[in-house]
Amino acid sequence: MATIQSADQLEKVRETLRAGVKHDLPSVLVCFGTGCQANGARDVAAALEEEIKKQGLAVNVSIGLKTTGCHGYCENGPLVVLRPQDVLYLKVKPKDVPEIVEKSIKEGAIIDRLVYKDVNTKAAIAKYHEIPFYAYQKRIALRNIGTVDPCVIDDYLINDGYKALAKTLTMDPEAVIKEIEESGLRGRGGGGFPAGRKWRSCRAVESDVRYVMCNGDEGDPGAFMDRSIMEGDPHSVIEGMIIGGYAVGARQGYVYVRDEYPLAVKNLEIAIDAAREKGLLGKNILGSGFDFDIKISRGGGAFVCGESSALMRSLEGKVGEPRAKYIRSVEKGLYDKPSVLNNVETWNNVPVIMLNGAAWYAAMGTEGSKGTKVFSLVGKVNNTGLVEVPMGITIKELVEKIGGGVLGGKAFKAVQTGGPSGGCIPKELADLPIDFDSLTKVGSMMGSGGIIVMDENTCMVDVARYFIDFLVQESCGKCAPCRDGLPRMLGILNGITEGKGTAEDIDTLNELCDVLTWGALCGLGTSAANPVLSTLKYFKDEYLAHIRDKKCPAGVCKALITYRIIAEKCTGCMLCAKNCPQKCITGEKKMPHVIDESKCIKCGICYDVCKFDAVMIQ
Amino acid sequence: MKKVKIVINGKTVEGVQDQSVLSLARENGMYIPSLCYNAEVQSSGGSCRVCLVEVHQGKSMRVVTSCNYPVREGIEVKTDTEFVRKIRKGVLELLLCRAPESSEIKELAARDGITEPRFFTDGPDVHLKNCIACSLCTQVCEDVVGVSAISMVNRGREKQPAAPYMKASNACIGCGACAYACPTGAIEMTDTPDARTIWGKTFEMQKCSVCSTPFIPKEQAEWIIKTTGKDRAFFEKCPTHR
Repeated sequence: MATIQSADQLEKVRETLRAGVKHDLPSVLVCFGTGCQANGARDVAAALEEEIKKQGLAVNVSIGLKTTGCHGYCENGPLVVLRPQDVLYLKVKPKDVPEIVEKSIKEGAIIDRLVYKDVNTKAAIAKYHEIPFYAYQKRIALRNIGTVDPCVIDDYLINDGYKALAKTLTMDPEAVIKEIEESGLRGRGGGGFPAGRKWRSCRAVESDVRYVMCNGDEGDPGAFMDRSIMEGDPHSVIEGMIIGGYAVGARQGYVYVRDEYPLAVKNLEIAIDAAREKGLLGKNILGSGFDFDIKISRGGGAFVCGESSALMRSLEGKVGEPRAKYIRSVEKGLYDKPSVLNNVETWNNVPVIMLNGAAWYAAMGTEGSKGTKVFSLVGKVNNTGLVEVPMGITIKELVEKIGGGVLGGKAFKAVQTGGPSGGCIPKELADLPIDFDSLTKVGSMMGSGGIIVMDENTCMVDVARYFIDFLVQESCGKCAPCRDGLPRMLGILNGITEGKGTAEDIDTLNELCDVLTWGALCGLGTSAANPVLSTLKYFKDEYLAHIRDKKCPAGVCKALITYRIIAEKCTGCMLCAKNCPQKCITGEKKMPHVIDESKCIKCGICYDVCKFDAVMIQ
Repeated sequence: MKKVKIVINGKTVEGVQDQSVLSLARENGMYIPSLCYNAEVQSSGGSCRVCLVEVHQGKSMRVVTSCNYPVREGIEVKTDTEFVRKIRKGVLELLLCRAPESSEIKELAARDGITEPRFFTDGPDVHLKNCIACSLCTQVCEDVVGVSAISMVNRGREKQPAAPYMKASNACIGCGACAYACPTGAIEMTDTPDARTIWGKTFEMQKCSVCSTPFIPKEQAEWIIKTTGKDRAFFEKCPTHR
C-alpha cells in the first residue's frame, strides 16, 4: 500500500473512504470488548454473519456487520447495537440471532425481551442513548469506542482520525504545547500533573534524544478504562503519542501494556502496523520531515510497574523497581534521557483537544480539573461499567443517575476512589464534586478512576484490611516502610476484624501510616496508608465498635457476629436446616428454628437462603 | 562543577551541585545514620530509609533520603527535628522486625530508644537472616565486580539476594565483595586454609608461593586476569611478598 505523503492527500483518502460509506445501510455493531467476548460475542457475530446470508441479505452490501470496542456496560454483554435505529440489545445469545435478523433488521421491529429494563421504574428502554447509563454520559475519551472497528484504520480515518496530527504537524511545537497547557489537561493516570507543563519541562532539557511513553499498566482491581481504550480505539492513543512526540522533540515512543491485556496488545499491534503502512508512523510522517515510531513493551504483571520510575526500569529490561524521583523523569527518565510518560487516557484526549481547540476542552469540567474523565463504576450499584462524565459531577449524581442507585435498595454508605491506595469517602460527602483537587482534599484521590460503591453491609475496617492486603502482595520490597510496614499494618487490621483489637491499635496504625506516608520511596508506598487513614477519619466509630465492643456493625467480620433466627418471622420451612453445612439448625416443621451457636461456622448460608428474612446478623 | 550553598541544621555549608546531602553533611562533620549507602557504589542508596532528613524549600517540606537527594541551591536541610526522628524511629522499628538479631540494626534502633519491636518479627523461613533487602550486595556484584552472580529475588517481605535458583552460581568468583559491603553482616562467608565458601559454592584458594598463605580464590584471580590482562605471575605471591 502506498503511504500517505501529505495532509492534503490524507484528506483525499478520507473523502474517498467516506464516499464509500452507505449511510442508508442498516448496520449491526457487535461489541468485541474483552467482557463481551468472554460472554460469547464471537459466537453471536458468527451467527449474525451466517444468518444474514441465510436470510438472503449480504454483509457489506445490504447490511453492515461490524465488531467494535467496549461499550462499558459489560455486565449486560454481549451487546449488540442496531443502526440507524439506535437500538441496544443486551445479553444477546446466538439463538436470538435469527429473530434479530428477521424482525429487527428486516422489519425494524424491537424485540422486547432483549432491551434494557430500568431496575427502579421497570420501564423498557430500547434506544441506546436514552438508557440512563448512557444518557448522562459525555463521551470524549470514549468517542469512538463502540462505533469504530479498532482493527480497521479506515474506520478511524472516516471518523476524523489523524486529522489532528496533520494539523499539529503544521504548527510550531511550542504552539502545540501551549494548546495542551491551555486546555488544562491533567494526567489521567492518577497524579493529575498538568500534561502541558510536563511536555514543556521535557522539551526544555537539552538532549539529542527524548522519549515519550504510554502507561498502559492499569493495575487497580476493577478498573479497566485504559484497557477499553487500547482495545477499542488504539489509534487515538497512537495519534496522541505522535503529537506528543512532535511537541517534545522525541522520535521514539513506547507503549507499556500489561501482558494480562492480550486483546489490547493485539489491537495496538494491528493499529501500529496499519499506521506505519499508511505512513502515519515512521520516517517523514505526512511529508513533514518528522520521524516517529512506536514500540510495544509488555509488562510482567507487577502492580508497581504502573509507577513511573518502575515502569521505565522495566522498559529498560531491568527489574521493575522504583527509584527516587528527586531528579524528575522529564530530565532523566528512560535510559536517563528526558522523557514524558502519560497514561492511555491522557494520550487519547490529545488528538481531540488539538482538533477542537483548548478552549473547547477547557469549557468542560471544573476550575482545576478540565474535561471529562472515564470512571469504572463498580460495587454495590445497579448499573456497573465504564462511564465518562465531565469533571465535577457529584458522587451522588454518579451513583444515582448513571449507576441507578444502590443495589437492592440498600442504604448508600461510601465510595472508594483511586484504586487500592485511594480512600473511602462517606455518604455525608455525597455532594462532593469529583475532580482531582476535591478528592485529594478529603483524603482520597482520583487515581486512574476506579469508583467502588459501598452499601450499609460493607464493613469499613474490612475494606481497609482488604486494600492493605492487596498492597502487601504488590509491594516490591525495595524500601522498609512499605515492605515491612504494610504487613504489620495488616496484622493489626486482621486482629481488629478477628476481635483481638486492643486500645493502642488506632495509635499504632496512625504511627505506621506516618512512616509510610513520609518515609516510603515511591508513590505506591507513600499513598498506601490512604485506605487506613481515610477509614479512620470517617469511620472511627466502626473501628471502636470492633475494638471496644467486639462488634462489627455492618455484620461482616465473622469473628464478631452471630446468626440468630427471629422466632416471630420463622415459618419453619426448614430450608436453612437443610442447607446448613454444620447441621446446627434444628426445629420442628412449621415451628421456629434455632441455631446452635457453638457449632455455627458463620458461613451465612442460612441468611442467604431464608425467604422470610427470619435470619438476622448480630 | 558548580558550587552551591545550602543550610544544614542552621549552618550554611558549601558543596557541589548534585552531590548527595548525606555526603555534604558528613564532610561537615554532621552525623546522619545510614545503612544501604556506599559512596563507592554509584547505584546504592535509597532503600533502607535510615538516612531520612527534612528538606525545606520555600513553604514546602519533604522527608527525603539524604544519601541520594541532590544538593541544590536554596534548600534547607534539617536532620534532627522531632518529626523526622519519629519517622526514622518507625523505620528502624520495622527494620528490627526484619533483622531482629542484627547487631547493627539493634544499635541504631537503641539510639532512638527501641529495644523490642511492637510487631511480629521475620523468621528464617521468610528471608536470609539479618538481611534488610537493601540491594547493596547485588549492586556491588554488578557495578563494582561486574559479574552479576547474585540478584534480588522475590518481592515484598520475601525479597532477598540470591544466586540463580538458590544454587551455586557459575558466575560467582568468590570475591566476597558482597559480604564485605553488607551493612548487617547477613552474607555468610567462611574461609578455611584451603577453601572459601559463599552462596553455597566452595572455591579453591590461591596460596602464596613464599609464605603459603591463601589470599585469593583461584576463580577470582582468573577473572581479574581475563578482564584486566594482568600478568598471571602477579597472583603467585600474596600482597606482602609481591
